[in-house]
Amino acid sequence: MKRFNSLLIAAASLAWATSMTAATRPHYGGTLRVGVQTSAQTFDPTVSGTPGLRSLTQLVFETLVKLDDRGRPQPWLAASWQVEPGNQRWHFQMRNGVVFSDGIPVDASVAAASLRAANPDWKVFALGELVMIETSAPVPNLAAELSQPRNSISRRNQGALIGTGPFTVTQWDTTKQHLTLQANDEYWGGRPFTDSIEADLGKNDRDQLMLMDLGKSDLVEVAPEDIRRAQIGNRLLKASQPAELLALFFTREARSDDEIHLRNALALSIDSAALNTVVFQAAGEPTGALLPNWLSGYGFVYPAGSVATRPRAPHPVVWTLSCDSADPAARIAADRILLNAKDAGITLQIVNSDNADIRLIKMALPSADSETALDELARAFQLPAPTFADSSVSSLYSAETALLQTRRVIPIVYLRTAVAFRSNVRGLKLLPDGSWQLDNVWLSAETP
Amino acid sequence: MEGAVYNSPNLEMTLPSSRLCLALCLCILFSQLSFATDWHDPVTQLAAKITGSTGPGVVGLEINNRSSISSADVEEIRRQLISTLATSGVRVWQPDQAAANIKLTLSENLQEYVWVAEIQAGASDAKVLLVSTPRTSFAVAVANAPAVTIRPTPLVSQTDPILDVAIAENNPPRIIVLGRTAVTIQEFANQHWSIVQTLAITSPTPLPRDARGRIFLRKDRLFDAYLPGLICHSTNSAPLAMSCAPSEDPWPLQAQGLSAFFSPARNFFPGALTPGIGKQNSAPPFYSAAAVPRANYSLWIFAGLDGQVHLLDGINQQVLGKVHWGSNLAAVHPTCRPDALVLADAADSEPAESIQAFEFADREPAPVSPKLPINGGITALWSTPSAESAIAVYKNSSTGNYEALQLTLDCGR
Repeated sequence: MKRFNSLLIAAASLAWATSMTAATRPHYGGTLRVGVQTSAQTFDPTVSGTPGLRSLTQLVFETLVKLDDRGRPQPWLAASWQVEPGNQRWHFQMRNGVVFSDGIPVDASVAAASLRAANPDWKVFALGELVMIETSAPVPNLAAELSQPRNSISRRNQGALIGTGPFTVTQWDTTKQHLTLQANDEYWGGRPFTDSIEADLGKNDRDQLMLMDLGKSDLVEVAPEDIRRAQIGNRLLKASQPAELLALFFTREARSDDEIHLRNALALSIDSAALNTVVFQAAGEPTGALLPNWLSGYGFVYPAGSVATRPRAPHPVVWTLSCDSADPAARIAADRILLNAKDAGITLQIVNSDNADIRLIKMALPSADSETALDELARAFQLPAPTFADSSVSSLYSAETALLQTRRVIPIVYLRTAVAFRSNVRGLKLLPDGSWQLDNVWLSAETP
Repeated sequence: MEGAVYNSPNLEMTLPSSRLCLALCLCILFSQLSFATDWHDPVTQLAAKITGSTGPGVVGLEINNRSSISSADVEEIRRQLISTLATSGVRVWQPDQAAANIKLTLSENLQEYVWVAEIQAGASDAKVLLVSTPRTSFAVAVANAPAVTIRPTPLVSQTDPILDVAIAENNPPRIIVLGRTAVTIQEFANQHWSIVQTLAITSPTPLPRDARGRIFLRKDRLFDAYLPGLICHSTNSAPLAMSCAPSEDPWPLQAQGLSAFFSPARNFFPGALTPGIGKQNSAPPFYSAAAVPRANYSLWIFAGLDGQVHLLDGINQQVLGKVHWGSNLAAVHPTCRPDALVLADAADSEPAESIQAFEFADREPAPVSPKLPINGGITALWSTPSAESAIAVYKNSSTGNYEALQLTLDCGR
């Protein structure tokens, strides 16, 4: 941890040193060249996953509500909203003057159609300029839930998905994994500063960093384990709060108390601190929680596995374990977990199959709103939907504890996400969920 | 807003006493904002939960701080908690002599302080109790100073962007705030500013990102507001109204005199001047400008798009190569000095910036004040029409709010 802190201080110092220039207003123009590690088969907000991809899709597709730096819902395509007592019926007033990138105005009926498609369980309809949402059970955090990318407002035009955002897609080559975005001059929030964004997807960060050093890329997504070595030369670096969960996911529910005990033993056997330090170069925080501590405030209460707490399994057991074969760090992590488990009397066999008993997965934090994040994580891990008695932190804690007690998921480490960028990239901001805010980025003359 | 009445500006009424009244009101307002954090409520809630869990008796207490709460506040919380627990019969004592031990962690999340009490009684699992209270934000740091000092007087703070503020020195004090979507008239009464009227800005096209704007008080009507590609005129009689229309008219750079055309879809002045500076009808594209009057002419200083500072005196144009200022300049002519000074911004460490005053004895600027640190990025810096002060707007990096300051210069402190 100390090493990573030193790293962050060095990163901050470097950023400070290069920002000792005068504060200039943003410049218009130029093309921002971006490198993202994950590949994608479709440019669709409903299937976006990693922070890098999410950062690009939210330039094109927008939601009724957006979360601010502190995870609080703020009006976006909706100008305001009200909820009726009981938290089951919501009214969203649409913002005036918003148009899709093809010039078609966004009205309540279009927005309602988008939300109906994404949420078949909700009753969504338009009433004048209002979008009405009715749910069968109280959903106190519905406004925050509407900030999820899957709730983006879009329409199809000759097969292409059209959004309302500050950029439009002009080219999307799935074979070359190359995306071109063009500034939307009519964007309701003001045209972005850069004229266009060129993004290369599906290339590892070392290749992308090399392109950056050759002056062919401006901003590159960096894997947690590469943060330290990414920080050389003329590169600047921004790292997020821990926002990507590395966890073991059991593909089926525990069927007995004995199985719960075995899973507990596995959870406590994993030396997550060593895993974080050795495999991920201290780019994360060991965790026993589903939500990171900076989001919940109480995550430290759940014990992360460590050498000190390592128990023996009540009896021998053999499980199969799979991981993303395209992710070298995940493979190394799986090997270490295998050794830790063996010390606790649990045999893990690494397999290349979707039918493994356990999967080692990385899951991006879905939201900077704690209840929405827990909701979405539960959905992703096939856990029962959490229930919140009220909006207090005690209620959140109870809901998270109930999910963890199922032992369907064993959280291991929360990892930071990071971007390296050239000194001419200005106005870049990392959001709490690890995604990048690119719509305010502008390009200056590069400092030597 | 119905029935809101606005008194038209009357230059005869701009007496020192009204300024003093405004300053005093503002000082009272903002001195009241700087109270210490009150921990009474969360301490009381936590003590009640602990008492409900342990019942009366002797407990051990260990406090760990994982939050941004200061160590002085941590001690205050400890003192208050021990005292409140005692009133319920729970006495804090040595852990080895206690029936239950409480490990209290002061933590935080994005919005709240979260206090987590883990209560261990005997061999059973620890019980976890939580309370939360909203996190506080921090005010702007103000520099102490010698020689010329920039004195910031907070005017208004709001979540929506502020493009400019005009101070209408009436009784009671009023300000006119130009935003992206509306002009608001605000009145200072009962120790705070209240919006007395909101006038919506209607624009046929979206304003550009980093939108800029100016608002000027007028003699024949209350105000004119200039926005990119748009001009809005108010009426002069109650009920106050405002009409906006597309316009590429030049924006005044000072109250009477030089104006410059503003790019309708960008954030800068392309450089065309009217009526011009002496024989010069254009300047390099620029973000802001300041005039320093001389005996027979005015020296104009421009913050260019090229990052350079350009000087125009009506005949010659000069680039100040060694000066690295930001995009925002404003001239201020303090009553305590014979010459006008230039306020300029500079980034010290993002996202914070600072403003400093410079004199132009010849053609080279020399700093005459300490830097005034600003807790966020400066989004606007304009001279007031009289040039006796300037209006600075910044986005507070702690609160995310846009905050407007009136900057005046004090001499000899």
